Amino acid sequence: MDNDVRPRRWTESIADGHGSGFDKKEIRPYVETTSQASQPSKWKGPTYYGRSQLKAAPFNNYVVGGYIFLAGLSGGGAIVSTLAEAVRGERAYGVGRRGRYVATLAPTIGALLLIWDLHTPQRFYNMWRIAKGTSPMSIGTWILTAFIPSSMLGAGAQVLADVLPGAGWLKPVARWGSAPSAITGAGLSVYTASLLAATSTPYWAAAPRSLAVRFGASSLVSGSASLVIGERDPATRDALNLILGGALAVELAATIAHHHEVKKKGVAEVLKTRWGRIERFGVEGLGILLPIGLHAASHLVSDRKGKAALSDLAAIFALAGSATLRVAALAVGEESARRPDISFRFSQPENLPG
Amino acid sequence: MTMVEFDVSPRARDYTQSTLKGLIPDESELTAGCLIEPGKSYGFFTDTTVCIGCKACEVACKEWNNLPADEVGLTGHSYDNTGALSSNTWRHVAFVEKKQADRAAAETGYGVRENEQAAFQSGWLMMSDVCKHCHHAPCMEACPTGALFKTEFDTVVVQQDICNGCGYCVPACPFGVVDVSTTDGKAHKCTLCYDRLKGGLEPACAKSCPTDSIQFGELSDLHARAKVRVEELHARGVTTAYTYGAPGDPGSTGDMQYLNAFFLLTDRPEAYNLPAAPTRPSNRVKPALAAGLMAVAALALGAVAAFAGAPRHGQ
Amino acid sequence: MPEMEGVVTIVQEGRFQLTDTGGVSHHFVLGRHALCETEQLPKLAHEQSRVRVKYAQAKGIIAFEAKRITLLDAT
Repeated sequence: MDNDVRPRRWTESIADGHGSGFDKKEIRPYVETTSQASQPSKWKGPTYYGRSQLKAAPFNNYVVGGYIFLAGLSGGGAIVSTLAEAVRGERAYGVGRRGRYVATLAPTIGALLLIWDLHTPQRFYNMWRIAKGTSPMSIGTWILTAFIPSSMLGAGAQVLADVLPGAGWLKPVARWGSAPSAITGAGLSVYTASLLAATSTPYWAAAPRSLAVRFGASSLVSGSASLVIGERDPATRDALNLILGGALAVELAATIAHHHEVKKKGVAEVLKTRWGRIERFGVEGLGILLPIGLHAASHLVSDRKGKAALSDLAAIFALAGSATLRVAALAVGEESARRPDISFRFSQPENLPG
Repeated sequence: MTMVEFDVSPRARDYTQSTLKGLIPDESELTAGCLIEPGKSYGFFTDTTVCIGCKACEVACKEWNNLPADEVGLTGHSYDNTGALSSNTWRHVAFVEKKQADRAAAETGYGVRENEQAAFQSGWLMMSDVCKHCHHAPCMEACPTGALFKTEFDTVVVQQDICNGCGYCVPACPFGVVDVSTTDGKAHKCTLCYDRLKGGLEPACAKSCPTDSIQFGELSDLHARAKVRVEELHARGVTTAYTYGAPGDPGSTGDMQYLNAFFLLTDRPEAYNLPAAPTRPSNRVKPALAAGLMAVAALALGAVAAFAGAPRHGQ
Repeated sequence: MPEMEGVVTIVQEGRFQLTDTGGVSHHFVLGRHALCETEQLPKLAHEQSRVRVKYAQAKGIIAFEAKRITLLDAT
């Protein structure tokens, strides 16, 4: 937008870029004040008795957020553990084994949470009626469906190999059986972000790309953090910590980019609410910066046990941060849909794409 | 005395008796001046300049669709005790008492009436809000079960026998129309009287509207009527009149293209609780998926490097 | 749980009117856990079968939530 300070008719900004049917000369519904032309942080124009034009999603944030976390954890865990075994072979067997168990969380508890949140849960199977690309929930249904066979085959073979004596021959079955879940796991890690982005809820819709990078990175954070805990081989542990640190750094960068974009779209006001503060200080501070700090501190410690304890602690905070991110992102989004000063600011013409 | 020639269907003369034996075939031809045929696009043109706020549309909708009343109470918001569209309310009449509009509202709170009223409608705005039956309906695009579908009349309907109440259509809607009922656990919204259309009847709200503020008809016909009406209002001095939701209008922004239920407004959309520039949510699916997958792929490559770089043998 | 006997008169999707033996109509919404699907309701109305409805007061709306519908006279 230009820096023009003359009063603008509100339709002009649409007519400038997108008007096919507008006749600027004839239509003068409203004279925009200069304060609106200079893009305030929230909507200050008229509202209908302080109501928002949107409805907030009827999700239970703990249940759906819990699923999104488990989907990321399973997906990220499958990716990291499969790669560990592919590159390091037998030495990473422990990582692969734990990864196969972690990968069962989304198809079991995660799927139950999803069904639990339906308002007519006995009809959950209708999700398989169709497949459509415009609905990330449909895309996600099929990604989860594709994730189930290999993750469950891998985990099933792993259980037998662990429990039955002389079932060592099942180890390759577990390893090769679970390998495809690394591919579907990538989808499972990020589709939830596109599910939120493809709505009209301001905080979710404001910045689809950076939100998806946040979610994707957070999935790998939780995946690698879950594998760090209990890893005995120091070299593998260091490699996992390196991956965790890299994913945390990417998540931090994406978070900063996301909040910047959200501010540009006039939605940042919602970050001042209670859940907004949790999103900023809980996720960014305790879930990202603190684990990074603990990792840095672990390099100063020479004692091996102390090192391991610090990196375990970092992994626990990273896991908690990833879970908090999902619940907080849902709650902040719903708050942004309920607030007319945010929802109307977001639906102004200057936020139109292109 | 001269007979005034009304624009009515000649078929109206066939049904002069006060009690009828049954349904009039293609009754919409008599009441709305259009035949209802599958394969054509139908919608509403709601001309808010002639709305008198009688709420006959709300009542007709509740009666025909057997919708329960929402808990009765007073909102304190002018004559609007309905509040908003919901799973049980598919028509909602908004009452806007024009104050010394935005300046006074910002400085003194609201409730200050204009001392000098505009010549038109004495500072009152009323609008019967309804599901917009969007051309690219975000609720339908979001629906993972296919419960929401486009009918043969180009309207958007929730199939109650399929909906599993996932609730994803609710945040998808840019207008806050769709709602999930906690009683029956399904999504509900205006069906544009799908059952009546199949029987050749005009939707209940449009038929009951005493001032023809709600007009039902074929979309191309309604667009033409709206254009004429806007021009007429401009000629009469109501220069603030414009359409919301017709092609190229506000409401049809961001790849929404057009809304099958569109409006003629005289104030900013926000005054009527409408977004000025909604967007089509499904356009954000691909950018989000692509960016997320790229980030995951990059981190996976990093993971390969980290594992490959780690020493192979014990320390 | 309270119950009511009568005939299903008006049906729209999952919403129906039950006219009781005294001739008074009551507004019902089919509850989500009722062992009856919306597509079965028009048949009940068409056949004018006598039914017994177990119900509860629905929250936020002036209607009853039908919890269970039992056919009284099989036709």
